[in-house]
Amino acid sequence: MAGETVIKPDLDFIKRIVAAGGDTAKKCYQCDTCSVVCNLSPDNKPFPRKEMIQAQWGLKDVLKSPDIWLCHQCSDCTVYCPRGAKPGEVLAVLRQMAIEHYAFPSLLARLVGDIKFLPLLVLFPVLLLLFVLKALGVLGVRVAEGLTHQGLAIPKGTIIYSKWFPTLAIDAIFLGAAAFAVFVFFQGVKRFWNDINVNPWTVRLKGGIVKNLVAVLTDILAHNRFKKCETTFARSLNHLMVVFGFIFLAVVTGTAFLLEWVFHIESPYNLFSHLWWLKVIALMGTGLLLYGIYQVYLARQANAEKAGPGTYFDWQLIYLVAAVGLTGALSYGLRALLPIPVLAYPVYFLHLVCIFCLFFYAPFTKLAHLVYRTVAMLYARMSDRGF
Amino acid sequence: MSTDNNKILVIGGGMSGLTAALEAAESGAQVVIVEKKPYLGGRVAQLHRYFPKLCPPACGLEIQFRRLRQNPRLTFYTQAEVIQVSGAEGNYDVTLRINPRYVNDRCTACGACAEACPAEREDAFNYGLNKTKAAYLPYDMAFPFKYVIDASACQPNCGQKCHAACAYEAIDLNMRPQTMTHNVGAIILAGGWDLYDAAKIDNLGYGQVKNVITNMQMERLAAANGPTGGQILRPSDNLPPKKVAFVQCAGSRDENHLPYCSYICCMASLKQATYLREKDPESEAHIFYIDLRTPGRYEQFMWKVRDDEGVKLIRGKVAKVEQEVGSPRVVITAENTATGNKLRDTFDMVVLAVGMVPATKTTPFAMPLSYTPEGFVIPELLPKGIYAVGSLKSPLDVTKSMQDSTGAALKSLISLSRR
Repeated sequence: MAGETVIKPDLDFIKRIVAAGGDTAKKCYQCDTCSVVCNLSPDNKPFPRKEMIQAQWGLKDVLKSPDIWLCHQCSDCTVYCPRGAKPGEVLAVLRQMAIEHYAFPSLLARLVGDIKFLPLLVLFPVLLLLFVLKALGVLGVRVAEGLTHQGLAIPKGTIIYSKWFPTLAIDAIFLGAAAFAVFVFFQGVKRFWNDINVNPWTVRLKGGIVKNLVAVLTDILAHNRFKKCETTFARSLNHLMVVFGFIFLAVVTGTAFLLEWVFHIESPYNLFSHLWWLKVIALMGTGLLLYGIYQVYLARQANAEKAGPGTYFDWQLIYLVAAVGLTGALSYGLRALLPIPVLAYPVYFLHLVCIFCLFFYAPFTKLAHLVYRTVAMLYARMSDRGF
Repeated sequence: MSTDNNKILVIGGGMSGLTAALEAAESGAQVVIVEKKPYLGGRVAQLHRYFPKLCPPACGLEIQFRRLRQNPRLTFYTQAEVIQVSGAEGNYDVTLRINPRYVNDRCTACGACAEACPAEREDAFNYGLNKTKAAYLPYDMAFPFKYVIDASACQPNCGQKCHAACAYEAIDLNMRPQTMTHNVGAIILAGGWDLYDAAKIDNLGYGQVKNVITNMQMERLAAANGPTGGQILRPSDNLPPKKVAFVQCAGSRDENHLPYCSYICCMASLKQATYLREKDPESEAHIFYIDLRTPGRYEQFMWKVRDDEGVKLIRGKVAKVEQEVGSPRVVITAENTATGNKLRDTFDMVVLAVGMVPATKTTPFAMPLSYTPEGFVIPELLPKGIYAVGSLKSPLDVTKSMQDSTGAALKSLISLSRR
């Protein structure tokens, strides 16, 4: 029969959705309240009703849908849902599974999504950094007479982190981690782009990619979509603060890289030097990041009743960003404001571990939304879906 | 107080209560009906037509009232409430409070008091679609056929004007609430239902957007004794609406409002589509539904309405209702789930198919009973000798309520004879 659709439900897929926090998916009775109350949903084939039935029926292709990424989890749908099916939460779980689907190696994404493996994932950068220190011969663990460990040696004198962990080694490790993330993202996006450009989403894309990408990025930077949320309106501002916190810090890191390797001006850069402006940007970035993530945390708590408590995958990124910001601020404080070498160096080490986690695991954590949502919004824009 | 083993108290004088009371009284029991409102007949009196036969409920009510008048074993109190109950099966002591009507039995319903009355009140019988004077006849065939004075709407001394206008000395402004007690063997709870407060469904615009009305208001608009004399006219400008949307499950099957299906709203909207189509052959009725629930033989009625070219059944719930800019028309948004596209359409009027709330939700029985979280009586957990009927147990249509009432009458009679 022409046009026949054979539905192949994947029971394991449904079980995984339920296990990952989408246990309400089965409650949906397809009334479409969600699609209507959603301010982001396009008129043509709106989400999330159709994704809800795909999730219920175990239609795994839903992971290839760009629409799950157009959702910003405003929770308007969840608030109005007559069945307590929490479409917002279910779509978040689908996005988590899509990240896993497109990530390489997929196994790593599964580890990231499971709290059991958290110690293992944190242990990896700890060991890696210690190994590099050891290889550089600066690891302070010395075995004296007998087998007594004396702990990590804290460098004497003014606290300068590069005394202990050479900048070159840091740059090598973190550029490596970033390169790994970019490679994984590239593979993922390539597969995602191919998937959304075949069935069932084949449409003729309009306009050039670059021009549209610029428009989409502008949209993202201004949080134009996010601002349309009603129930969790404040989230757009909170998220904006975190994003700009990161942008400021990225600018600082990039400039520091140039100063170090092109202009050969060694860090640290202090408030009372001619490079004071760099430190100001860094402090502003850290402030935005910390304040933003704190507000995110508060908003989550406040909205838990309406929007659901959030999953481990969801909270993981919030805690990671908070850890990056806190260790960073403390590293600065313990170095420049209230110098305590015994604390400063270990905190700095923790800071490095956090940043490594952020970079290295980016394609596997919720942070991957940065890339996939951008691609989905680009696609939506080029296929006339109101984005 | 003497023990009267042969007496049944029926709380609620709507179709269910009347039926239970009449069946029991005609079987030889003494029956007392207690009705909160100033008239008997309940919600049925407000309906324009019954589904699926589309006959007027007035004739059924007339028959009940005639049976009631002819039966010496049946007494009733209007504007009355049960305030206290004690005892057990076969021996319940019940205290009633009868609120003042301020009009006595001399009333001939001539209407002189209403003409003279300077104060107005919202007409609850017509769900606030119009106003009446503070001295009013509940509706044109109210039983008892007597005027009432709404003291809360009556300004100080305004009653004096009514008193002066009445040629029959029927106005008694000195009436006070009375209490009385009855000893009864069994009690039938027939408190019925209230319409859910549609204003609580904040995305459907009721009370905010002009020309969004409830299904019960639609009944009143269509009824010949309604505020528009049976012409369907939209409230904002009294123009006949050409294109009307019916929003199903307005609050029902929604855990934010009423988590249950109200059972009758699909049939009610299908029925109301026929009101509209019959009055204006060029009109259109668009019914937006999640699924049409037309149990049993009611499905045939659905087929009939569906086959009318002026009726469109659209599978998709309306979740947004807004005023058209600069007009009294109403824009609704739904997703037509058959096509998978959002549908935004403008209508002259929107009827919300609002569901039923059991009367016990707001006014629990004067004795501790077990209720569901939604306020429905749990029949299995009722004390012996107390029976609940109709929509107090679950949302129900009139036919089933009446069958249930006959059952409750029989159960009460059995209860009385058991002793």
